[in-house]
Amino acid sequence: MVEVDEFKTKIRSMISQEYSLEFLGNNFEQIVKTISDSKAQSIYNWIQKVIERKIQPITIGSKKQYKDWKISELMTFRYAFNLNNVEYRILFVKVKNSFYIEFHLGDHKYYDKVRKSLDLKKGNY
Amino acid sequence: MIIYNPNDEDIIKERIEETQKILDSIPAKYCFISGSFLFKKDYRDIDIFIISRTKKEIKVINKKINIIRIDFNDIYSLFYHSASKSCIAKNILPKKPLKVTIADYWDVINEAVPTVLNEKDKYHKNIRFLVLYTEYLKNNQILDTYELRRKIEKFKNFGEILEYIKQEIPLIINKQAKKSYIKRYFYTQAGYYKDSIDYKSQKYLYELSHNIVKGVA
Repeated sequence: MVEVDEFKTKIRSMISQEYSLEFLGNNFEQIVKTISDSKAQSIYNWIQKVIERKIQPITIGSKKQYKDWKISELMTFRYAFNLNNVEYRILFVKVKNSFYIEFHLGDHKYYDKVRKSLDLKKGNY
Repeated sequence: MIIYNPNDEDIIKERIEETQKILDSIPAKYCFISGSFLFKKDYRDIDIFIISRTKKEIKVINKKINIIRIDFNDIYSLFYHSASKSCIAKNILPKKPLKVTIADYWDVINEAVPTVLNEKDKYHKNIRFLVLYTEYLKNNQILDTYELRRKIEKFKNFGEILEYIKQEIPLIINKQAKKSYIKRYFYTQAGYYKDSIDYKSQKYLYELSHNIVKGVA
């Protein structure tokens, strides 16, 4: 099982940037504590691929504001995994051609909430 | 109990009774089951759709049950029209005329392209909206969940999906929208992709936006 601080430190060291990455999610700590070492390694491998630009981002041409940025200035990387038959998702948000700002981890409900605030979900289409 | 089956597909008889039992156990007036549980002997999940204004959690014991909530404000959506087209419902389902916009369609494409490129072999779940919208705007046909699954299964690999997008979408959008709207909307979109064109997906979407403006596949 993974220690929360160790998990955060590892990700922060991988992206190595001055801007402080925020880790967010309703049950972030509880979820991290149930991640096995091998699952954590898969997440680190995925982050490495994000850094190497091997993972495709989702971008949105929206003029809406999200915190200090316009949504069109951001890109989001998505990773899904399963823990004890519950689907969890990571949304890793980056400012285009710049630093990473947020690492979201949560269940489907939380994922939908973040997607809405990032303008990625506008209802049931 | 109401059975919606406009294509006269073979619903498995025993499943009708089982569906009734499940729906009776759901504390919601408007709920329905659609998908493979009704039509296929082997099924993975039982998709129960609940139309409701409240967000109160409904707990079910059966682990195969997958609850999908639809807000009353979303019953105009293609998603709802598709899911409820062939189904078994507890009561007569509320209907609102379908509302589909090109901007919604583009949001679907915008998310589908990077997802398909990332998932490569596991794209099936992620292209549902893409195929649903494309088939509706191309043929004016709303696929039900079963038809949609069959259509998706016809793709042999992710390359075929990218080719499908490239071939179909410029023609569909040019048929559905005014030239002035297309120019304004898609030149703006192309501008957003330009900053990140070193990503395959963004380059693909950038080129697709331009092809839509030019009206060529």
